Amino acid sequence: MKQHPLCTDCEQAPNVMELPIPAGLKREWAAIETRRRFLGRSGKVLGWAALASLLGERGASGDAQSPSPPSRPLSPQALRLPMFAPKAKRAIYLFMSGGPPQMDLLDYKPNLAALYNQDIPDSVRGTQQLTGMTAGQTHFPIAPSHWSFKRYGKSGTWVSDLLPYTGQMADDLTIIKTTNTDAINHEPAIMLMNTGNMNAGKPCLGSWLSYGLGSMNDNLPTFMVLQTKVNDKENNQPVSSRLWSSGYLSSEYAGVGLRSGGDPVLYLSDPDGVDREVRRKMLDAVEAINRQTLAELGDPETNARIAQYEMAYRMQASVPELVDLSKEPQSTWDLYGPDAKEPGTFAYNCLLARRMAERGVRFTQVYKRGWDVHGNVTGVLPILCQETDRASYALVTDLKRRGLLDDTLVIWAGEFGRTVYSQGGLTHDNYGRDHHPRCFTTWMAGGGVRPGITYGETDEYSYNVVKDPVPVRDFNATILHCLGIDHNKLTYNFQGLDQKLTGTTPASVVQGLLA
Amino acid sequence: MLPMVPVLLLAAGCHDRHTPTASTKRLDFNQDVQPILASHCFACHGPDPEMRKAGLRLDLAEWAMKKRPGHPDAIVPGHPEQSELIKRIESRDPHYLMPRNAQGEAKPMKPEEIAVLKEWIREGAVYRPHWAFEKPVRPALPSVAANNSWIKTPIDAFILARMQKEGLHPSPEADKETLIRRVTLDLTGLLPTPAEVKAFKNDQSPQAYEHLVDNLLARPSFGEQRARYWLDYARYADTYGLHFDNSRDIWPYRDYLIRSFNNNKPFDQFAMEQIAGDMMPAKNLDPLIGSGYVRLGVSSNEGGTIPEELRVNIARERTEAFGATFMGLTVGCAVCHDHKYDPTTQKDFYSLSAFFNNIDERPFNGDRPVWTPVVRIPKAQNQEAYDVVFAKRSEIAAQLRTMRAQERGLVQQWLTSGQDRPQPVAADKLVLRLRLDEGGGELLNNTAPHATPASFPIGKSKPAWGETTWLWPDFRMDTGTRILLGQMGDYDWNQSFSSGGWMMLRSAPNYTVENTSGALISKMDTTQHNRGWDLSIEKGIVSVELVNEAPKEDDLKKAAVKKGKQKDETFHYPTPTDLTAKDLAPNKPPEKKQPAKKDAKKADKPKPKAPEAARDTTPRVAIVVSTVDALPLDGAWRHVFFTYDGSGKASGVKIYIDGAPVATHVVSDTLGHATIRTQAPMQLGWRWPDAAPARDTRYQDLRLYGRSLTADEAKRLPFEDYVAEVTATPTSEWSDDQWHAVSQFYLNSVNRMYRADQDQIAELNVRLDQLSEGGDLTLVAWEKPSLAYADVLTRGVYTARTERVEANTPHFLPPLPAGAPHDRLALARWVVSPDNPLTARVTVNRMWYELFGTGIVETTEDFGIMGDRPSHPELLDWLAVEFRESGWNIKHMYKLMVMSAAYRQSARSTPDQLAKDPKNLLLSHGPRFRMDAEMLRDIALQAGGLLVDKIGGPSVKPYQPPNVWEQVSYPTSDTVNYVQQHGDALYRRSMYTYWKRMAIMPDMDAFDAPMRDVVCTRRQRTDTPLQALVTMNDEQWVEAARALAQRVIIDGGRQPEQRIDLMSEILLSHDPRPQMAEVLEGSLAQMEKHYEADPKAARALVSVGEKKRDASIPAPELAAWTMVASEMLNLDETVTK
Repeated sequence: MKQHPLCTDCEQAPNVMELPIPAGLKREWAAIETRRRFLGRSGKVLGWAALASLLGERGASGDAQSPSPPSRPLSPQALRLPMFAPKAKRAIYLFMSGGPPQMDLLDYKPNLAALYNQDIPDSVRGTQQLTGMTAGQTHFPIAPSHWSFKRYGKSGTWVSDLLPYTGQMADDLTIIKTTNTDAINHEPAIMLMNTGNMNAGKPCLGSWLSYGLGSMNDNLPTFMVLQTKVNDKENNQPVSSRLWSSGYLSSEYAGVGLRSGGDPVLYLSDPDGVDREVRRKMLDAVEAINRQTLAELGDPETNARIAQYEMAYRMQASVPELVDLSKEPQSTWDLYGPDAKEPGTFAYNCLLARRMAERGVRFTQVYKRGWDVHGNVTGVLPILCQETDRASYALVTDLKRRGLLDDTLVIWAGEFGRTVYSQGGLTHDNYGRDHHPRCFTTWMAGGGVRPGITYGETDEYSYNVVKDPVPVRDFNATILHCLGIDHNKLTYNFQGLDQKLTGTTPASVVQGLLA
Repeated sequence: MLPMVPVLLLAAGCHDRHTPTASTKRLDFNQDVQPILASHCFACHGPDPEMRKAGLRLDLAEWAMKKRPGHPDAIVPGHPEQSELIKRIESRDPHYLMPRNAQGEAKPMKPEEIAVLKEWIREGAVYRPHWAFEKPVRPALPSVAANNSWIKTPIDAFILARMQKEGLHPSPEADKETLIRRVTLDLTGLLPTPAEVKAFKNDQSPQAYEHLVDNLLARPSFGEQRARYWLDYARYADTYGLHFDNSRDIWPYRDYLIRSFNNNKPFDQFAMEQIAGDMMPAKNLDPLIGSGYVRLGVSSNEGGTIPEELRVNIARERTEAFGATFMGLTVGCAVCHDHKYDPTTQKDFYSLSAFFNNIDERPFNGDRPVWTPVVRIPKAQNQEAYDVVFAKRSEIAAQLRTMRAQERGLVQQWLTSGQDRPQPVAADKLVLRLRLDEGGGELLNNTAPHATPASFPIGKSKPAWGETTWLWPDFRMDTGTRILLGQMGDYDWNQSFSSGGWMMLRSAPNYTVENTSGALISKMDTTQHNRGWDLSIEKGIVSVELVNEAPKEDDLKKAAVKKGKQKDETFHYPTPTDLTAKDLAPNKPPEKKQPAKKDAKKADKPKPKAPEAARDTTPRVAIVVSTVDALPLDGAWRHVFFTYDGSGKASGVKIYIDGAPVATHVVSDTLGHATIRTQAPMQLGWRWPDAAPARDTRYQDLRLYGRSLTADEAKRLPFEDYVAEVTATPTSEWSDDQWHAVSQFYLNSVNRMYRADQDQIAELNVRLDQLSEGGDLTLVAWEKPSLAYADVLTRGVYTARTERVEANTPHFLPPLPAGAPHDRLALARWVVSPDNPLTARVTVNRMWYELFGTGIVETTEDFGIMGDRPSHPELLDWLAVEFRESGWNIKHMYKLMVMSAAYRQSARSTPDQLAKDPKNLLLSHGPRFRMDAEMLRDIALQAGGLLVDKIGGPSVKPYQPPNVWEQVSYPTSDTVNYVQQHGDALYRRSMYTYWKRMAIMPDMDAFDAPMRDVVCTRRQRTDTPLQALVTMNDEQWVEAARALAQRVIIDGGRQPEQRIDLMSEILLSHDPRPQMAEVLEGSLAQMEKHYEADPKAARALVSVGEKKRDASIPAPELAAWTMVASEMLNLDETVTK
């Protein structure tokens, strides 16, 4: 039967085995298909997304073992993923877990000083639900920021004195003052930010990207997660592996943790007494026998297993190379500062994130905990900024110097903001801030976003959005857009619904943020 | 546009079942048509009215054929060419073409789909009800002419018939080695021993296989293996999953599962116990322990938690889990709106959630390993005595339940009899009665007779309405809510008056006894040295104050508070076990490095550093009377009331809690004849102008009398007065809430038998507590006596309540029996009632999935419209009926399946089979798939002779790489540090491994074990490089390889071939094929050479793991064999069933 002229369904697409593409790609496709077989209703997008990534990144150069170059290569566009020319190929997400206080960092509110200790007007607070931690307060006294702000760069961006390095890169940043969320407590909010849903069980942004765009390298995971060491002086809200979980997507799209203690990747190191040579011989024997099994039983799954053991072997070599910083030039240390030499610091993780970007890791997420400043803001916030300010600047600057910033999207965000009124006692020297969902400040830099702008406006209390709100779903839609993905089209059929990162409430790409 | 190219063959496997295979057969609506309509049309033309376009609904015949004014007929039966539906889907005009996606873009159907719809309309467009919602009837076995010698069980007739239809042929039976390995793994989760394999091979009797199966079904490991799957279905874990993610004690539930499967407990009993074991008659604790199922989901105690939100989320999670496991439906899709595909309406969802919304619990857990309701399990030596008492208690509880089930009839009889009529409290001098049942609006009504004023404005900051129900849906003060009652209560020292009402103090994670302190009802002016009167609470101590003047800081009262005895937190209703202070203490983080320096709560909420105010030296001229005992902060409603006789003396003040006078201290008695009158308005929750707020308190039926009520009147006030009011009206006019209030009053206060039974239960509870002393606690369900209801929430937002609904089953499934109470017990009975079309199908389908790797319905969690259609619908129905009619016999069903010829086939596949049926849904060859995470680790331990076969008990902590928990946890969580255990704990079956939800065991994680945050009825099965890293490098796998090596060196004989043979027999149940032996021997030679040259490396390798090695074996030899064993453990054949 003839295909409908308006049909854009990719199921009506070519048989891969008959396409004039390198034999190696066909083999990989066959392996992917095998896996697909076990994913139940995984459907078409997975296969095509994965194939697109193979073709998109390596199709052009062909396969070294291929006897003849492809005569009619398919463009990634024809395969629909990325769905349009992406500005960014990869992303690095600096996640500030706990909720940074926006009015102390980037949302400058000079008029608050005059309102010190006055109750926030009811008209401003409106019907906003309070958390159980301040619902018991009688008063909601305004706590102006303890710090001064200065203008930086050509953009004249106001930046707190806590962030001198961030100020220096103000012209590279796309600052969003009007990010807002529906959740007021950490658990639901951090889940919403990462997975688009407050309840557990949904895939995170990184998993969606891996699923949609696939890998850019043969030796490293597509999506990696870095944890920053806990600082006991801070209030460290927990994170959990559900934040980098693939939810109902295949678990191969889950984030792989790169750790600062022990094996960088779990179980990566050969056991004591097993060297590379022994491992190679062991794997050769395993493969030889597995090939016999394949011949005997004909199960394509066996083939996939052989390939995965080889990938594991390659990872065993490439991950140590990734974390070996001995060849970094002095300029690196000058840029990132001495902290970067200590594994597990935020600076170290930022440096690793740059190295991963260079090596084709699609998505890297760096978690920094401790921003939950319910009290002692003047005591704790300088520590947090000292840990993160220079490193964030170094990462963006480093990427820029290496020409990577153009196709790398860097994102800096927490799960919500904080209240302008003080939680607990307010003095001239100190205050606390409770969770605040209605507005918080985030920034992006690099591939796809417009540098040197500040987007959106909040009221003079940094309590409500007065112009250009960016709800979490729009924030995520915009990230996907920068990576060449229409958030409405990156879907996965689960429980009878075409599920997507941005959920069921209509979301839109924030055009004002785009380059 | 894409170039014209052949249809992608690889994708065909997913869709072949939707394509009619032969043109002669009429289309089957459920198999052929509905999936197309559902996936393309129902999003806009389906059950959800909000999304419906052009008034067209295509999921129901009567709607699809209905005339729509101004629209052409969508479907004209028999005439596809006249049907608008066909015109639209065939159109070339992009503005006219259907279907469209959510963004309104045209998304044409596939030609073959269009062909099916046309053919269906030509055949008359016959709709059939959705297959899964019709009760299964046992179909006749298909007559399969050829090859019927292959058939061993009725299952095979269905399998063969389908294969024949598709031109496929069954495979020969697998060899005996393969068979015994497969069936032993499936039924016990472990490998057969070489001796068992040998015995089976040598048993030439025709019953050899059946004997083997019977033997396996009788092993204790059968129950472990089945329970292991059920732990996913029930979302079992050892931590509560959010924020602190602290430990939670519910492992006895896991033991209950193992016991149940091993005793072959009928599935109907098994299912009912888990849903409502707390409400069933029982001879022992098992059903109650089983009811822990309801409480297995995640819970939280995050500081800012809003209890109303968390309660809704918890009920939702339970409902979704119940829907997936027992109904096979994705009911959670109806949280925000009517289901887009299934007939599940939003109201259906909330009605179902109501069953799980009436448990006597608080939604937050206090960061404790147990939080009520719980039960304490007696120690073994007391169990018999305990069971006798428990059975007695259960009998009486059943009598109470019977009476409650008949309560409306009993109430009618009582009212007709004219005996014991409820006596109202005389309305004499009742000046203020705030029922607080307005449910919204701007005014609160004063319903006292001839009230002036008749109402009070609420003010700007509105209260919360209807979050819970007591006498009626309630009223809660919100932050900032002010209820000003003007000059009500303007009394002086020489006037008698009484006031109080029903109140519920705020109970939330961050509401401590301290910060719920404040004024409950007050007419007091803090700007005038506290002149006036009030009823207040401080740290649970209730006080009445009549003040002429007093210092601001009330030291005297504080002293009284210190004397007050703080009751342990108990619940208002009898629970199986009250907790001791020790039980209530949070677990401490294990002591390891970096002990937390600061208390987490302090971090959450810093203490305000208020400047020390100058001391107020005002003399006290006041009466202050305080209760001796503190009220617990337990989220229960209490009637708090006081009377004052106008004597100017403290002795003139009486305080009543729930109608009973309570012991009081006189804190101050210095008022004398001094005035207490003030211009400050009377208010709820605050002292004038803005002091001492009792935050977020709920109130109902608040009264103020200008006289001192007698003790008898105070006693009647909480319930009897209201019941008298209700019973003055005809019963036909009563609301459900009124029926409930009257029934409760009748049963608790009038019916002597009921009261006697309750007293007896209280006595037995004491006995049970004694007999279970020192035992383990486990979380259970415990139903409240209130009505089970829920609110329909717009878009699922907890504050957006629209309609209150009673607990009920979905409208499109068989109803609950008329007259039965709508509670969890009714739901449990309904689940396993013969009319329920889903439970038996869903359950046998999961059994099939466990054995064959894929369910007959692939989407084990979704039997709805968008779920997959069964590959063998008649077989599924046959099995479902067989299951029910066998008395829900679980072992019978597993036996039936593994006895089938389909199961016993060789797994070898041919290219033809792979091409026709890539997923092997038609079972033309035997099942073959990678084992689950737990099985893999278990067989590695077993092969090395390390496995400890102890059954049950608390979870254990075997090897785990460092810094897995530490890097994600809250610093004061009791699971911040992983403290590995030693000895046997390292070698228990994996189902006993401690399951921390926020960071599950990384080896389990790598092999697709779910986090158990949410229900999981089928696992993914992926291949990733991380899996290879686990089985090659994980300490426990290396140790297992070394132990296996040692075992074959000692037991296998001197020759390498003998040892390799034994290794193969252990892991694969057969001798190695010659080529394989050749590879292994070659590898051995290489390894021997390597390790003889490097003995240091050899020693390092054989020292991995805590089990001592046999020192008599030279290290290089053991090391070389360890690598060979590791090769064997990493084989595709080893990790595959």
